[in-house]
This record gives sequence, C-alpha cells and structure tokens, in this order.
Amino acid sequence: MTENEMTSNDSTEPTPTTETAASSPDPSGDPLIEQSIDVEGTDATAGETGKPVIESSDLNVFYGETQALQSIDLAIPEKQVTAMIGPSGCGKSTFLRCINRMNDLIDAARVEGDLYFEGKNVYDADVDPVALRRRIGMVFQHPNPFPKSIYDNVAYGLRIQDQTENIDEKVETALKRAALWDEVKDQLDKSALDLSGGQQQRLCIARAIAVDPDVILMDEPASALDPIATSKIEDLIEELAEEFTVVIVTHNMQQAARISDKTAVFLTGGELVEFDDTDKIFENPDSQRVEDYITGKFG
Amino acid sequence: MATREPETGWHGENSDVNHLRGRAFEATCLAATAFGLVSVMLLLLFVANDAFRPFSADAGWLATYAATVVVPLAALAVYYYRLDEPAGEVAYVTSGLPVVGLLLTGGFAVLFIELLSVLEWFALLISLVVAGGLIVAHGRLRPKAALERLAVVLLAPIITVFGLPPTRFNWFVTDAAAALGLDFGLYYRVISLREAILMLPFVPTDWVMLLLTLVLPIAGAAGWFVEQRRESRRDGLTVVGLTTAVAVLGVVAGPLLGIGTDVWLLIVTFAVLPLGVYVEGVLRRGEGVRGLAFPVVAVLGVVVGGVVTGALGFAGPDPWLDWGFLTSATSRTAADAGIYPAMVGSVMMIIVIVLTTFPVGVGAAIYLEEYAPSQGLMGKFVTLIEINIGNLAGVPSVVYGLLGLALFIRVLQWPQGSIIVAGLAVGLLILPIVIISAQEAIRSVPDSFRQASYGMGATRWQTIRQVVLPEALPGILTGTILALGRAIGETAPLLMIGAAASVRLAPNSFFDVASMMPRQIFSWSSELDPSFRHGVLAAGVITLLAVLLVMNATAIVIRNRYQRTG
Repeated sequence: MTENEMTSNDSTEPTPTTETAASSPDPSGDPLIEQSIDVEGTDATAGETGKPVIESSDLNVFYGETQALQSIDLAIPEKQVTAMIGPSGCGKSTFLRCINRMNDLIDAARVEGDLYFEGKNVYDADVDPVALRRRIGMVFQHPNPFPKSIYDNVAYGLRIQDQTENIDEKVETALKRAALWDEVKDQLDKSALDLSGGQQQRLCIARAIAVDPDVILMDEPASALDPIATSKIEDLIEELAEEFTVVIVTHNMQQAARISDKTAVFLTGGELVEFDDTDKIFENPDSQRVEDYITGKFG
Repeated sequence: MATREPETGWHGENSDVNHLRGRAFEATCLAATAFGLVSVMLLLLFVANDAFRPFSADAGWLATYAATVVVPLAALAVYYYRLDEPAGEVAYVTSGLPVVGLLLTGGFAVLFIELLSVLEWFALLISLVVAGGLIVAHGRLRPKAALERLAVVLLAPIITVFGLPPTRFNWFVTDAAAALGLDFGLYYRVISLREAILMLPFVPTDWVMLLLTLVLPIAGAAGWFVEQRRESRRDGLTVVGLTTAVAVLGVVAGPLLGIGTDVWLLIVTFAVLPLGVYVEGVLRRGEGVRGLAFPVVAVLGVVVGGVVTGALGFAGPDPWLDWGFLTSATSRTAADAGIYPAMVGSVMMIIVIVLTTFPVGVGAAIYLEEYAPSQGLMGKFVTLIEINIGNLAGVPSVVYGLLGLALFIRVLQWPQGSIIVAGLAVGLLILPIVIISAQEAIRSVPDSFRQASYGMGATRWQTIRQVVLPEALPGILTGTILALGRAIGETAPLLMIGAAASVRLAPNSFFDVASMMPRQIFSWSSELDPSFRHGVLAAGVITLLAVLLVMNATAIVIRNRYQRTG
C-alpha cells in the first residue's frame, strides 16, 4: 500500500500526484488505517490554522563562512503536524535544530535573527537551552536508544528532570502512547539495542514523550527504516499530533503529503520557498520551483 | 579490450597478474613476526630456567612429576579441546579462580601485616559506610537541594574519616563544654568517627571485625548475585549462610591446621566462596561437568608425586624463586635473598599512582573531550595542549625522574627515595598515557548518544555522568591498567629520586624510604657474587613479569567482559 502510493506518485505527472495526497479517503484498496489517518490528519484539520506556537522571523544560520539558512519567516501551528521537505543540504534539519537550540552544540554554528517559542525568543540571553529542550523533545534520523534497558531508556528523561514519582506508570504510559507497550511489556529490563530498528525508533519516541513536552521535533524519523516500520511511525505521528505539536523533517514527499497539515518547502541554499497547507502545496503550489521539485523535475 | 593479445588470459599458466612481490612481502612479514616472538620466548625461557632451575632435580623426580601431573593434565587438555569444549571452559575457570583468589588473599594479608591493623581497617570502613549512609539519607530527605547535596557528598567522608581541623566554631563548642565543666578532650578539633573507633576501650577481636567488614559484605554481594541469577531468595541466603558458617568454623579449625584465623577468613572470602558458587552452578546446569576433573587431577597429581618422590628418595630442584624468596628480605648471601620488601614497595607505589594519576588523568581527558572549545583562540590553545600531551608521552623516563627529584625532594623537601615521591614521579610519567587512552575511550562513545541525551534536556554533567562515562569506563580502565603495567616496571625515575638499593624491612607508611622491584633487581645486577647475577636476579625478573601478567590479564578480562554486543 505504502509502496503502491510511492510508485504511482513517482511515475505520474503532477495532477495524479496531488490527487493521491488530497483524495486518499477515496477507497482505493488502501487499508482502513491509512484512510482514517488521512481523514483525521489532512481533511479534518486542513485549512484551520491553529495558534502559532513557534515563529521565526528573519532567521539566518551560518556554519563558519557558509550560510545554511537565509532569512526564514515561518509560523508553526499548535497541535498539528508541520512537515519540512526539500533536497539534501537545503537547511531543513538546521531549522529544526534551531528550534531547540541543538545547534548550540556545534561550535562552528552561528544563529542570527529571532525564533519565538510561545512568544519568547529562544535566543534571548536569559533562555537556558537545557530547560528549553525539556519543553521541546527531539527524535533523530537514526534510532539512538542508550545502551541501557528499555525501561531505563524511557525513564532517562524523567530521571534527569527529577520527575521520579510514579515513574513506572509514566514509563508504561509513554510506551503505550508510542504503540510499543504490547511488544516490550515482558522484556522491559532487556537491552534496548536488542530491539529491531523500527522498535528502537518507537522507543526513542516513547523516550521523548515520556517527559510530556509541548513540541516534538523529528529529523527524518523513518528514513533509516523499512516500509512497514515506516508506516507504523507515520500512524504514530498522526496520533501524537492530537496532543503535541509535531515538526517533522522528511526527504519523502509522499510521507509529508500523507501525514502533515502544513508543509514548508526549503530549496537549495537554505531558502524557504513556500509554506502553506499541505493540500495547497501538493495540489497547487504558488511557486514554479516548488511544483518542479514536487513533481520530481529536480531535487 | 579487444586489443589484448590472445595468449594472455585470466586462467591457466599464462595469467597476466604478477603475485611474486605480494608473496615475497607476506613471507618477509611472517619472518619478522617469527623472529620477534622466538627471540623473546628464548629470552624468557633462559630467565625462567635460571629462576626455577628445574634441571637441578633428580631425573627420577622430574619423571615422577611428569607422569603424575604433566601427562594426565596434557591428556585432559587435549580431550577438552577435541571433544568437550564447555568442559574446557569449566577447567579453565576452576583452575584460574583459586589462583586469583589466593593472589587477592596474599594482597590483603600483606595489607594487614604492613599497612593497617585490622582495627584501622575496620574503623576506616565503618566511617566510609556511615558517610555513604549520610549521603543516601540526605538524598532521600531533600532530593531537590543540589548544592546542599554537593556539600554533603564532599564533607561527609572528610568528617567521618579525618575530622575537622581547629576552627573558630570548634573552639566555641569546646570552650562552651569546658565552661559547663565537661572536658571532652577534643583538642579544639572535631575528631572523626574513625579516630573515635580507634580510641574505643573495648574492641572486638580481629576475626570478628574481619567477618563484619570483609566476609559478610562480599558474601552478601555474592548472595545477591546468585539471587538475581536464579531468582531464588533461598539460594542467595544459602550462599551467605554457608560462607559465614565456613568462615566461623575456621576460627576453631584454623589453628589446628596451622592456618591463622585472619588468613583463613581471607581464603574463604576470596578463594572458597567464588569457587564454591561457580562449581555449584556447573553441577546444577550439568554442562561441562567433566571440566571439574582438571583441578582435581592437578591436586591429586601433586600429592601422589610428593608421596612417590618421598618414598623413592628423589631430590627435588633447588629453585631461586621459591616461597622463601617471595617472603624474605634481600640478604648478603644469595641463598637467603628475597624480594618481599621491594614487592610491598612496588604495590604501595602503585596505590599512590592509582590514587593520584587516575583522577587527574581521567579528569583531564573528560575536560579535553567534552568541555574544551574547539573553535577560536581557545580552540587553538587546546589543540596545542593535546599535541604536547602526545609529546610528553614520549619524554624519556629519566627526565621524569629528574623532575621528581627537583620538585618533590628539592622543593617540597619530602624524604628522598620515599614511596610517595616514587609514586608521584612515576605517576607523572604515565599521566600522559592515561590521558590519551582515556580520551580515546571517551571519543569512541557514539555522538548519537550525546545528541539523544542533550535532546532530552539533559545538562552536560548529566550527559557525561549517565551516558558517556558508563560507556567509556571499560576502555578507560583497560588503558589505565596497561599504563600501570608500564609504571610498575619503570626503573630510571626510581634511580633518580634515590629509591633504596636494598631495604631489609618492608615500608609501613607512604613516607618511608623503600625499594621497588625493578630497583631491587637493578641492584642485584651489580652484586659481585655470580649467584646474585644469575639466580636471584632471574627470580626477581620472573616475579615482576608475573605481576605484570596478572595486571594485563585483568585489563583484558575487563575489556572482554564489558565489550558491547551489537
């Protein structure tokens, strides 16, 4: 199913592509779960712009001499899935890492401009990036569980944040929300490294949501996984958007079309070319370059 | 492609690839390896022959032991290797465990004879346990007070072990007590719990203190381990109970067998307990049970050999390296010479090195890898420092000896040739090696773990403490132990700081003048009597090598044990 969509998208011209994204509730042999997701995700909330929770204005990022982001203005709505797509090296991951100030860890990185989280500029001098990251969780491209037990992985965030009350319950809740509980409930003290790649990534998501952040940033969370594991992660993201603001970077345009409410298209040179409702981007983009990119003429 | 001549091809005689140079290179490399290995082994064989002198024995003696020990054990080894590999593993462990256990026993026995009385050990341990208890209790009562916790963690061990120096506050308390007609005899300082225990008018006898502070904790740990493994509380309690019972039994039976009570307790703890737990596990699992035959055959062979040689009147060899050599001081006559004081000196020197170099070296490595900036002017400075640490690792050891002489003896006026000076000078020598190997270990922790931790909102300290260090620790320990192996064999710094050429009494304090094994060996090399130069010297070298081998084996075991799978 997932693969079908992919191939049909890749091989056909613009109109069918956008149709797939917009009209997937149309029963065309897709499994029930996919349909319901698209109904909830794309159709139910598309068009209604939530309150913006993350806003950037004139954000520039430099790595040494190279400019990685050029004057980005973007407003990410609350409790929706916002996807960032674009070719390699376009700065979408860099933007994501600006939100929770993970770029601080790279000595060569320099950020100019403003990025507001709940109305507060996160680059103000009085912001503690550690405290900020406790509100904005992150899931990485490659599953990176700690070499500890499954339980300790999920409990890690709770422990470092001194939330040591009812830790068992919180671990269980997080694993259930990450749709991993049934698979691991009997082996919580086994090493997390023994899990499969897809399970590891869901564990990382459980780890991120265990501390109940406001926003979850995902940096190509499914790019290292096989199609079945990918579809599980996608289902999960849809569900998470009911409670969290999700920002996801992806290489996979079909993935963005399937799961996101809003899509930002970055193109080479760190430029934000278009940001709008996902339907609009995939059906009728304003920019010719975006259309070319989406239809596979380049990138 | 089409222009290639038809007679060159990719099969048959006329293949057009030339392998000659490759083969010649491979053969040269093999020759170099073989030459190195063979020459080192020949050298070791010569030294071992001088130290043990096996051929000074009667031919009958050698033949008897070959028949009772060597041949049966070799046959067993071949059997394990060919037919029963799990049993080979069991044989290996059951032969190794007692050896390691007896070495540990020896170490602790020397500790109690030379450095601490059992009472001092007891007081120190109780004080540390109380300090730990205070820290845990504080953590439970006030989990949020981070700064307070830091103070408690630092102060609790200091107060319980060392007490507080005279301060205005103490004067006030003591004066107030004196005004009330109470004289605690506090000498204007707060005495530590340790000192208080030492002053007690009545103390338990040595074996009771050892039972409480050594046997019970280790038996408890073993019991806990067994309980976790088998998920049976009864098995765990059995381990603790049996160990304690055997230990107490020794108090009665030990003197009858001619073994001191303290030594009996140490043997039970370090040799009997681990061996017992392991053997019981093997028997219960029923896998590799035949491996247990190996140590039994070895012991039986020695006993039978002894009976036979005694009955037939075969004389054994007269080795230089024997029990007397290990337990007596050096002497003017080669036959009486021993290495015991130098061995104690070496061990105490290693203690100084571990206590100083390990924290400093690992701390520096953590700073350089995790905190130091990599950009800008400071980044350049850090790079300069790292390059120079590499250079320092290559500085000749005699230079470090000179540094020790100038710094510790001339400037600080510490006693010439004392253990503390030797330990610090050699510690400085291996410090760069410790830093570099710890840096390697920390660098090998994947960056994705750090990213994950920071992404969860962990501070740098939490990331290092909970993610980086646990992952890097096996590597750090391996590198440090290998560096310590280098330290124990260093001679030049010891000569420079004036370590004693030979001492008759083992050192009792870190400020005593002492000799260390390599220094003692060096002074034997210049004795006039050839038996010193050929026999005693060889025995010393073999002892030193054996210590080194044990240390390196420990490093390898740690590395293999903690190597991450998958």
